Amino acid sequence: MATEQQYYYDDVVKRLVQFSVIWAVVAMAVGVYLAAELVWPTIDFGQPWLSFGRLRPLHTNGIIFGFGVSALMATGFYSVQRTCHVPLFAPRLAWFLCYGWQLLVFLGGISLLAGWNTSKEYAELEWPFDIAITVLWVCFAIVFFGTIAIRKIKPIYISNWFYGALIIVVAIVHIVNNLAIPVTFSKSYSLYAGAQDAIVQWWYGHNAVGFLLTGGFLGMMYYFLPKQAGKPIWSYKLSVVAFWAFTYSYIWAGPHHLHYNAIPEWVQSLGMVMSLVLLAPSWATMVNGIMTVSGAWEKLRTDPALKFIVLSLAFYGLATFEGPMMAIRSVNVVSHFTDWTIGHVHSGALGWNAMITYGTFYFLVPRLVGTELYSVKLANMHFWLALAGTMLYIVSMWAAGVSQGLLWLSLDSTGELSYSFRDIMASMAPYYGLRFIAGLIFLAGTLLMAYNFYMTTRSRETVKVKPPAVDPAFGVAS
Amino acid sequence: MSNTISPALLFKSIIQPKAVFESLADSEPAPVKIFTRYSMWLLMLPPLFSWIGAYSFGWRLGADEPLQLTTTTLTVISLGYFLTLLFGFVTTAIISRWMAVTYGANTNPGLHAALITIVGQPLALASAAHLFPDVFFNLIVMIPVTIWSMYLLYTGIPIVLSIPPERGMLMASSLVGWLLVAVVSLLGLTVGLWTTGFGPLLGV
Repeated sequence: MATEQQYYYDDVVKRLVQFSVIWAVVAMAVGVYLAAELVWPTIDFGQPWLSFGRLRPLHTNGIIFGFGVSALMATGFYSVQRTCHVPLFAPRLAWFLCYGWQLLVFLGGISLLAGWNTSKEYAELEWPFDIAITVLWVCFAIVFFGTIAIRKIKPIYISNWFYGALIIVVAIVHIVNNLAIPVTFSKSYSLYAGAQDAIVQWWYGHNAVGFLLTGGFLGMMYYFLPKQAGKPIWSYKLSVVAFWAFTYSYIWAGPHHLHYNAIPEWVQSLGMVMSLVLLAPSWATMVNGIMTVSGAWEKLRTDPALKFIVLSLAFYGLATFEGPMMAIRSVNVVSHFTDWTIGHVHSGALGWNAMITYGTFYFLVPRLVGTELYSVKLANMHFWLALAGTMLYIVSMWAAGVSQGLLWLSLDSTGELSYSFRDIMASMAPYYGLRFIAGLIFLAGTLLMAYNFYMTTRSRETVKVKPPAVDPAFGVAS
Repeated sequence: MSNTISPALLFKSIIQPKAVFESLADSEPAPVKIFTRYSMWLLMLPPLFSWIGAYSFGWRLGADEPLQLTTTTLTVISLGYFLTLLFGFVTTAIISRWMAVTYGANTNPGLHAALITIVGQPLALASAAHLFPDVFFNLIVMIPVTIWSMYLLYTGIPIVLSIPPERGMLMASSLVGWLLVAVVSLLGLTVGLWTTGFGPLLGV
């Protein structure tokens, strides 16, 4: 081919990492502000755009689509080039995606502040943004699958299966869930009504968690963990079996968000059973990760990246165990609508997603610019802040959630509810204070990382890396 | 090589943990002796404190009225609490020893029993907070103590089990993973018992 480039396209990877870190700082700061609003409700100053209802979707969309998806695009592009031994397919499209996605998250965030909202959780953005997401997601698919199509090495490594599933499944659930009839530029109505709308919404919502926050980040784990440990994955067969079991069972689990609601009971039971089945492939992956690290002592470096990744696996183990447990109807009756759910989400989001991303970035950033990390000491401090912040967050929400569940359902001797909703919520302020401190600690760690990366990459060019020669035994016959 | 550890040495770990860790590293203690002479008594403290506190004052969950339970229910819950802690102690020591094989650490079972005892000791003593059964007060006391216990776990493993600090860090993180799952299982089990009619009267 005449246009064949000699080097991997790592500039776009570096830019996506930078955007991801910026979104992490911004969206986490919004989260801390929201935590403060729950302690001191008057700090919205009577401004609609500062109200909890508008800032909350900004926080979740900023973290998931800004921080999370940018990180997945960056690590996906980095690893797909190296596992296929070719530079990116359609690099200009990759750059278009890189900036287009940031513009989408930025404008989408402003629209949420302005009060445009579909009222579907994690799918709050209105129809013009939904169309833009679809177009950009197709670009993501073209670049990613195009690179796999032109690969020079025959096997498709397991990390690419997970990134591929992320792209395909998120496209399906995003399009189906967001089908709507536009009324004005800023308002649309869902194509589905009542309970059907709820089922479609949580089929989307849970698979966004499943294929984006779990599957996508497992792709990250499958490439970067063996790289850091300097060893191949412990069991490749287990990873493939776990992939298919994971893909098959996750897609059914959504109805556990609707226990005791106006949907058929058999649908609830099916969601519960499939959520419990999900524990097996989730933990198979965790075992595979931990066993990969084990025994590679002589190759362990003193860099802090591996610490983050191993700890992220511990929290992954917690979150993927806690989720199925909370999907059991007799546990869910107490835990649902309480802060226990918020604690569960953050054991996943802070403990798993953020920590594995931080670990991966600590590995990636110095290598992208061909230097050492600016400060290992700051990175170690970041590790302890991240651990302390996550633990404090989870524990305070466990205590608040279980207390809420118990108080809401308590009956007095006459069979009446013992406590009013208002009184129970008023008594939660101390726990919310602890959560605010936890958020501040976690954010402080993220800021240290951002400074560390700024100093590491400052006025340095991206290193040019050539694809290595392909072993003929694994090469694609041309 | 000594095969007994005096209870005084384990107690000393509260003020001088590093010195105790270092002296443990050279020993091959008998796990049963550690358990019967020391750990078992520590494990009795939290259920005892919680029984006395809940019997005298009732649990305060943030509402005006404290949650009062009958003496029989309290006794059964406290007994269950003790058995759960016992199960937790034994399984954590066994899992720690099992992990030690993977991480190339010392597999002497007595060392693992001693280490888990030292790590859990601050939590057992701080359970005196159960005497004042207010959920938030207990949380405020337990959080710094838990951080201290985690510090003991991360610093203790490499010294007591004679492995390099980086490897100790990974083993400690793996044990934290197990402990988190154990804690959340306890939470789920408790809530499951409530909804099946044991404990407080719930409208489910």
